[in-house]
Amino acid sequence: MSPQTKRLWLFGLFLLIILALFLLNLAFGSVSIPLRDIWGSLIGREGIKESWVYIIQNSRLPRVLTAALAGIALSASGLQMQTMFRNPLADPFILGINSGASLGVAIAILGAGFVGGLFLPALTLRGEFSLVLAASAGAGLVLALILLVGRWVQNPTTLLILGLMFGHATSAIVSILVYFSAPERIQAYSIWSFGSFSGVNWTQLNVMALVVLAGVGLMALLPKGLNALLLGEDYARTMGLNVGLLRFIVLLSASVLSGAVTAFCGPIGFIGVAVPHIARNLFKTSNHKILIPAIILIGAAVSMAASLIAQLPGSQLVLPINVVTSLFGAPFVVWVVLKRKRGATSFSV
Amino acid sequence: MGGTQAKARCHILQRLTAPVLQSSALRIGYKNGGKTPKVIADQLNLQLNAGEFVCLVGPNGVGKSTLLRSLTGLQPRLAGEIQLSGRKLESYHPRDLANQVSVVLTSPISVGAMCVDELAAMGRFPFTGLFDRMTEHDWEVVHETLRVVGVDKLSHRYVHTLSDGERQKVMIARALAQEPRLLVLDEPTAYLDLPGRVVVMSLLHDLACGHDKAVLTSTHDLELALRHADRIWLMDDKGQIMSGAPEDLVLNGSFAQAFNRAGVLFDPLSGTFDTQNSGSKSVFLEGQGSEVIWTRRALHRAGFTVNEEWIPGSPRVCVMPREGATTWQLEHSGQTSAFASIYDLLQSLPK
Repeated sequence: MSPQTKRLWLFGLFLLIILALFLLNLAFGSVSIPLRDIWGSLIGREGIKESWVYIIQNSRLPRVLTAALAGIALSASGLQMQTMFRNPLADPFILGINSGASLGVAIAILGAGFVGGLFLPALTLRGEFSLVLAASAGAGLVLALILLVGRWVQNPTTLLILGLMFGHATSAIVSILVYFSAPERIQAYSIWSFGSFSGVNWTQLNVMALVVLAGVGLMALLPKGLNALLLGEDYARTMGLNVGLLRFIVLLSASVLSGAVTAFCGPIGFIGVAVPHIARNLFKTSNHKILIPAIILIGAAVSMAASLIAQLPGSQLVLPINVVTSLFGAPFVVWVVLKRKRGATSFSV
Repeated sequence: MGGTQAKARCHILQRLTAPVLQSSALRIGYKNGGKTPKVIADQLNLQLNAGEFVCLVGPNGVGKSTLLRSLTGLQPRLAGEIQLSGRKLESYHPRDLANQVSVVLTSPISVGAMCVDELAAMGRFPFTGLFDRMTEHDWEVVHETLRVVGVDKLSHRYVHTLSDGERQKVMIARALAQEPRLLVLDEPTAYLDLPGRVVVMSLLHDLACGHDKAVLTSTHDLELALRHADRIWLMDDKGQIMSGAPEDLVLNGSFAQAFNRAGVLFDPLSGTFDTQNSGSKSVFLEGQGSEVIWTRRALHRAGFTVNEEWIPGSPRVCVMPREGATTWQLEHSGQTSAFASIYDLLQSLPK
């Protein structure tokens, strides 16, 4: 079988997996709903238990769509960061986007305690949309900072170090807030930081979908530029590419994508770093013309699988998403990385 | 109308006959923040013609890479002017510049899992649109360059499975697929074994004279540069560049001057570098053929000055080639012995 045919089969396979995961995600949760009734409630057929229809339409459908969008966004962001920094360990949050979002949320939840509700009365534990706003503000601030610094700093490694340092500084401020906060507020903050696909309602989902579409749309313009960056910025320049503009678009797309996910779902680790590796290994290529559609499919599938496992089908418990992605994902990636042939997927390491 | 047409024709003619690359009063170096810039070389007036293979040589750290980067516009120059095909370098749109110049850089690339033809096809970037849709013609060019470079049989192999020499050839193919007038390479032979270096250097020479391109490469392989280059740019540690046919630079002593350092000598007779350890002991060598040349080298290494005439009292070595088995005869202090190999001969020479 030629590599092209093999890739087509893989694309088909992942579409089937996504469909299956979609249905399973709708079926499982604290109550199990038979597949027949799932379809019925989606198309609005009569005679299905009202509570089931409600659960599917307002809880599970948004949840699985959020999971898919978040998976796509994180994978797309991670792929761009890995290529731009030529570093297999780069992830969507390497430039401190999540730290910015965390700081925003920490100030919203924990800071509210300090000012005694004087200035931030609305930001209570129930003000979920406020959390999204706070996280967006934090992520947006870092995004602006990165784009600004990115125009000055030409060396990607310098940018990387600046991002890391910024993340550390932000975490320190968050730690200060945590240290002086009341236990129930710390718990509220922790819960946010565990990550969740469940808290997103339809209005928020629409916003998230638009932002993710915009970010992925930007990336879809870039396969040629990202391929050129595999050879390094000097080569890219001598091939007639505008490296400055390319870098700006990469930073913009990657930051918007990861910022949106963090704002709506919390800082979700692992998917962004793992999915590009899975894609490179399965499709045996580092050509972005193939990788970009591949990570969109694999990202959605992995994230939906994590969401399904987090529901612990058959039980009343729900695990935090970050626990699932790391606990189940890490061994998988270890296996993938150990199995691969030497040099096949690495960058300059 | 006729006037503008004639003008345009004249312009095209000018571009075709102008040197591919010309620099005047070029100053290169690094802008050192707000401080005075670090000047590597100044007042460089260089010229590069189509069909010419030029090797840029010079001791480590004299600024060969800086010069190449400045000439290709990868690094801003400090002063002076660079013209490509009769037009100022900075007047080119990046995409048009990519049609004029392509490069092979010194650092080994790691693109991950990518096939040879995919990598070479990246040379078509200046010709393809936003989504890099390759036309039939684009693929023809890619396959032709792979054939010219001699790696067409590898086109479906993954790049990471290639040897260093093969990979370097693919990088040259990628650069050629850009269809440049000028090909610039920064130490393309650095990671290659000796046969690999010879292949790459003669390939570059063929590209220049057979495909009418200007090829400029920096290299540390002086002996290969002397053999293959049409012209040598010899850069010394003061940033001055001597330009000329390799033979001219050897004969007027520039080569020896630029490279002679403590203990190392350039031998204008053989065109090779050697350590200065030919010492006090002398030996007389007679015989013919390649055996004599290699025996001389061995004796030289062992610290002997090889004389053309026999000095009484010194050892006398006679190479006697015979079908299948050469013997080396040594006469020393009245004794004569015969050896089957140079190694055995050296063992018995007086220390």
